Amino acid sequence: MLVNLEKILLGLGALAVIGLGVLITSNVMARALFASQVPDSVTMVRELMVAAILLPLAAATAARAHVSVAFVSDRFPARLRSWLIVAGSVIGMVALAPLIWAGARELIGVVEKGSFFYGDLNLPKWPGRLLFLLGICATFARLAELTWRDSRTILAGGTVSDEQQHAGDLLSESEVR
Amino acid sequence: MDASTIGMIAFAAVLILLALRVPIAFTLGAVATIATFFIFAFRTGTFMPERAVRATTSMVFSNSFDLIHSYDLSMIPLFVALGHIAYRADITTKIYHAAKVWLTRLPGGVAMASVMGCGGFSAITGSSIACASTMGKICTPEMLRMGYDPRLATASVAAGGTLGSLIPPSVLFIIYGIFTETSISSLFLAGVLPGLLTLAGFILVIAVWVWRDPAIAPSTDQRFTAGERWRAALDSWPAVLLFVLIIGGIYGGIFTATEAAAVCVVSATLIGFAQGKLTLGGLWDAVKETCVQTSAIFLIAAAAKIFVAFVALTGVAGTIVGFVADAQLSLVVLMICIAAIYLLLGMFLDPIGIMVLTLPLMIPLVESYDLNLIWFGVVVIKLLEIGLITPPVGLNVFVIANVVGKEAPIDKIFAGITRFLSVDILVLILIMSFPMISLLIPMAAR
Repeated sequence: MLVNLEKILLGLGALAVIGLGVLITSNVMARALFASQVPDSVTMVRELMVAAILLPLAAATAARAHVSVAFVSDRFPARLRSWLIVAGSVIGMVALAPLIWAGARELIGVVEKGSFFYGDLNLPKWPGRLLFLLGICATFARLAELTWRDSRTILAGGTVSDEQQHAGDLLSESEVR
Repeated sequence: MDASTIGMIAFAAVLILLALRVPIAFTLGAVATIATFFIFAFRTGTFMPERAVRATTSMVFSNSFDLIHSYDLSMIPLFVALGHIAYRADITTKIYHAAKVWLTRLPGGVAMASVMGCGGFSAITGSSIACASTMGKICTPEMLRMGYDPRLATASVAAGGTLGSLIPPSVLFIIYGIFTETSISSLFLAGVLPGLLTLAGFILVIAVWVWRDPAIAPSTDQRFTAGERWRAALDSWPAVLLFVLIIGGIYGGIFTATEAAAVCVVSATLIGFAQGKLTLGGLWDAVKETCVQTSAIFLIAAAAKIFVAFVALTGVAGTIVGFVADAQLSLVVLMICIAAIYLLLGMFLDPIGIMVLTLPLMIPLVESYDLNLIWFGVVVIKLLEIGLITPPVGLNVFVIANVVGKEAPIDKIFAGITRFLSVDILVLILIMSFPMISLLIPMAAR
């Protein structure tokens, strides 16, 4: 289920990147050709950015794409290194938990107040906040799953590696199990 | 417990967690959040956790959300996408092919073409590691097949790959621009001359190395007619067009850097489709790769933004500035110290990690000496570029080692790198001594 959710979020993130390119280019062309601009394009780009960056975050976490310093720990035994990878996931959850709490509070706040961006279209503020919360929650869930899966692997006598998987191979069922 | 004590403990915790392989983003985010909580909780002198929770979470949310909810920073996913799309549309490889066709008869010509290919790739993508990894797959095996010495075949591409940080568009410049609140367009323009200077230096290294030891680059029988050479040059027009759009657009004031990124992504996609080199599946894969890569970059940047806000609360930066002011260091000594710190960190950490860790402390220091932040940005990026090829952890060297496998072990690659490193150091000294090398184009563009 988590894999399917991540695939959908990654796809939506990819659509958001395409949207960014098309929207900004349209704005440049509208300015050059018609001395005009796409209404509220800046606001739309900012909202699309949240989707482009945060929705694929869980997929990036599943692919172990987060940068870490391996120079010291590469000298440790494989088993200890595996536990450090688990510790990294736990610390990741510690870092994300306050964001989930604050993001939910912010989302509830803008929905209750009916907040919107001042502009031609008066776009509502809640979509960006919702996307933020969704992306962080999915990443938190993936980190929890990685912690559980990696711990079980190590306790069963195996080792885990945080070597990056190529995004092209990302999220195949066999890798994520 | 006072704020500066919490600050010192937090810095120590960051260093320990980083050494223990905890991802940079998680380290910075977790440490900054917990430490900020303690600062707010101890604000009145007694420990009051309930009042700290709301203040901490508000600070953490606003710093991370505002960073991502940004119009200007949309250039990062767009430039990363441009690199992936240009590669899949065969745009980047054609630069190397054109350079190879023109230079193949020169001694060491294919190595020179590889460095020029790296320069061309960098002018479109903006990532050193992506540059080394992509060009490494194309150029290094070909040079090894032609009988080039593995030291030259690998080191030229590992060093050439570092051009991705300096020649615009560069993701490192964008991140530097975010944290120092300097114009990213000016930073891009400032990187052009130092980047070209480095490129010329690398080509000179190859020329001198092959001149002194011709056996390392056997000459080839391959000959190209004048027609083939011109055709190869003309075939590389999409790369030239994209570079002109980026630099010409920014220099001419036609686009902002963000708009240049978007226009180039759309142009590269249309060119790829028109030439039949890019498929819908290829475009989709390129954009998905972009998403994964940029998510990881932004998570580090967002965590660093939280860390920067925390550092501001502690007043540690002010303490360090005061300490340096008391020491009355001359500008030369200060710059040597800064260079030494970056070179040392560059041996162990990745460039983005170094920047987000050091800039909160370095920038107040640099500003206290009234130095130009655009020039300082170029110096920092050049230092980080050098870090990518210095032992024991030269990321680009490891990327090339992965590509070539057993044919060139790490020690051989590092043996070849030393010559390129000497040029890098020379260019660094020139950039530091003559700020106009960096500032000439941004000043002319005003």
